[in-house]
Amino acid sequence: MTEDTVISIKDLTKKFGHFTAVDEINLTVEEGELYGLLGPNGAGKTTIVRLLCTLIQPTSGTASVAGYDIREQAAQVRRRIGVVSDGVMLYKDLTIEENLKLLSTLYEIPNEQANDRIRELLDMFAFKEKEKRMVKALSTGWTKKAMICAALLHRPSVLFLDEVTTGLDPQSAIALQEFTKSLCKKGVTVIWTTHYMGEPDKICDRIGIMFAGKLVKNGTPKELKLAVNDLTVVEVDAPNLSHEQLQKVKQKLNLNGSSKLKYEDSKLLITSDRNNDLAEQVSTALVGVGAKIRAINTKIPSLEDAFIALTGGEEEIDRFVEAGQK
Amino acid sequence: MKILTDSIAIAANEFRQFRRNRASVLISLLLIPLFFTVAQGAGRGSAGSSYSPTADIPMVLVDNDHTLASARVWQTLAGSQDFHRLTQTSDEHAAIAGLGLKKYYAVIVIPKGFQGILQSSELNSTQARIILYTDDSEPGFTSQVSGTLTNYVQNFDPRIEVQPIVSELQLLRGRIGGVEIIRRGTSFPGFNIGLTVILAIVQIFAVFYEIAGGLSREREEGTFARLILSPMNIGSMILGKTVFDLILSTIRTFTVLGLGIFLYRGHPNTQIGTILALSLLIALMTMGLAFLVSALKIGLRAVVILEFFLVLMLYAFSGLLIDKELLLGGAAVIANSLPFSYAFDAMRRTILVGRPLLSLTTDLTVMVTSIVGLYIFSYILLFRFRERLAT
Repeated sequence: MTEDTVISIKDLTKKFGHFTAVDEINLTVEEGELYGLLGPNGAGKTTIVRLLCTLIQPTSGTASVAGYDIREQAAQVRRRIGVVSDGVMLYKDLTIEENLKLLSTLYEIPNEQANDRIRELLDMFAFKEKEKRMVKALSTGWTKKAMICAALLHRPSVLFLDEVTTGLDPQSAIALQEFTKSLCKKGVTVIWTTHYMGEPDKICDRIGIMFAGKLVKNGTPKELKLAVNDLTVVEVDAPNLSHEQLQKVKQKLNLNGSSKLKYEDSKLLITSDRNNDLAEQVSTALVGVGAKIRAINTKIPSLEDAFIALTGGEEEIDRFVEAGQK
Repeated sequence: MKILTDSIAIAANEFRQFRRNRASVLISLLLIPLFFTVAQGAGRGSAGSSYSPTADIPMVLVDNDHTLASARVWQTLAGSQDFHRLTQTSDEHAAIAGLGLKKYYAVIVIPKGFQGILQSSELNSTQARIILYTDDSEPGFTSQVSGTLTNYVQNFDPRIEVQPIVSELQLLRGRIGGVEIIRRGTSFPGFNIGLTVILAIVQIFAVFYEIAGGLSREREEGTFARLILSPMNIGSMILGKTVFDLILSTIRTFTVLGLGIFLYRGHPNTQIGTILALSLLIALMTMGLAFLVSALKIGLRAVVILEFFLVLMLYAFSGLLIDKELLLGGAAVIANSLPFSYAFDAMRRTILVGRPLLSLTTDLTVMVTSIVGLYIFSYILLFRFRERLAT
């Protein structure tokens, strides 16, 4: 922990009855850092955000945000954070401007200053004629932007963006990512939670991979990918493979537990322990079962591959997601 | 100071949202008051008519005595405003048989020897009786008709305890040739009775939903979490919503009064200010209860169910249907424990009888104490569980 540490989490645990949503997490986030929390639905990302926002109390462990303890100094924490989440919304029957004015009163921002900030935020997001519309009349993208304006009005030092790009079109999502990066350059610390693999790879300084309440791995996108550098991924364009053919290929390749074979839209994806001859072995096996091969190539492991490898394979994730849904 | 500015901001916010929702404005300020006022007005009649629950019910009198005294009983009852549909027959068995068939709802029998017992009662204190048969299938009807009948024939009862009437009775018995029937009790104009009920029910019905339903909606839509994450004190939210709803309650009070006075020619025996004060006290009690319920993290559907339960319970136990003094056993205990009973009592005493509000010390003390208690308890619960409510 340095003097630039804005978020410090130590052995943070949250249980709901017998279910452990967050399991002894340890983490520090520095000032101006864009930290991504990546994990499937139910992994515990939103629970961590709620804990750090002081909306729920931890079962055990401690955490501080902007130098204030989340248990003992919740009011001070709240003054210094902004939250954009589906669970923290704006009044739908008010315009974005009216919502911001209400919040400026509650945050004790003097009138003139509040008007300037509201103007600045609305201009920054180019609301134009939309600022006079009620929030319920805005599209998902504009509502998200309005929520970000509300979260930034009091100039927080820490911003929590929880699944903020869900439901956004690609252009809006990219614009939001760029805007967030610019905020971090100004010194705002951002916690970005998502279950989309591509997002944190592109924008985050560091990523924490969460699974079943645990922080499985923590590092820069590059470090995480290096951690799975001992994997080999082969992609084959092979149309019309039958179930029997796939089973025979699996047997011939003799794939072990951590390896995976996935066939979707004529693409066969095989991930295995480091094996320089894997492409050749796959090609031989496919020819042996009479399959037609249009193309074959070896891929560099992506963050998704890293995520799957670090969380115990795709089947484990499916089991976890199913259990969460139950 | 911050608590006040925040409260004003919350109240203003509530108003902005409210006026944009035309359905809410219509339902809360017009439809609910209009519905209850018209329903009560239609049921109880306007100010010009004395409301009687027994007036239009078919009843029959069987005179087995055939004396001057029994004839006077018949004349008095038949000529009163409470027995418009009273007929006479000599066939007691046929009359009683007509009870279950909805032909008659009550049979009043004057037994043979009625006048004789009355004449001798001064000497031996024996009691002259009138027998009343009623159709028990109609809930509450027996007590209604027996109460009204007792009012009319009480001077035949030698053991009557009300002193002024006893003295008058003695005088009357002295000249039994012309028996007089003395009517006890007060007759209130029909709509004034209705007014006491309407104001209370309209406020409870609208306020409970506005506060508990509003908070539940805020929780479900995530705006409650937004407020909780701001530096606002939960007390500001309570105060802001209270101010907003007090203004709506004031408008509703005047809507009901306006409709009652101009549509049904009601003329309450007290000042408008007294009625407004009582109406707002009922609104505040309901708000306190609604805030308390909101702390239990209930959904919008549960709020609606609870609201109907509350209104039905108040109808049953708070003197709206049956005066709480007439309730028995557990029902009486519940009625005496409900602060709303005291509010309705105060409504009746002021609107019907014209008692000054400040003279009703018990009613006022119970109301104010319960408002303060409910608000303190609500604040503690909402403050303690605010994070739980926000997630």
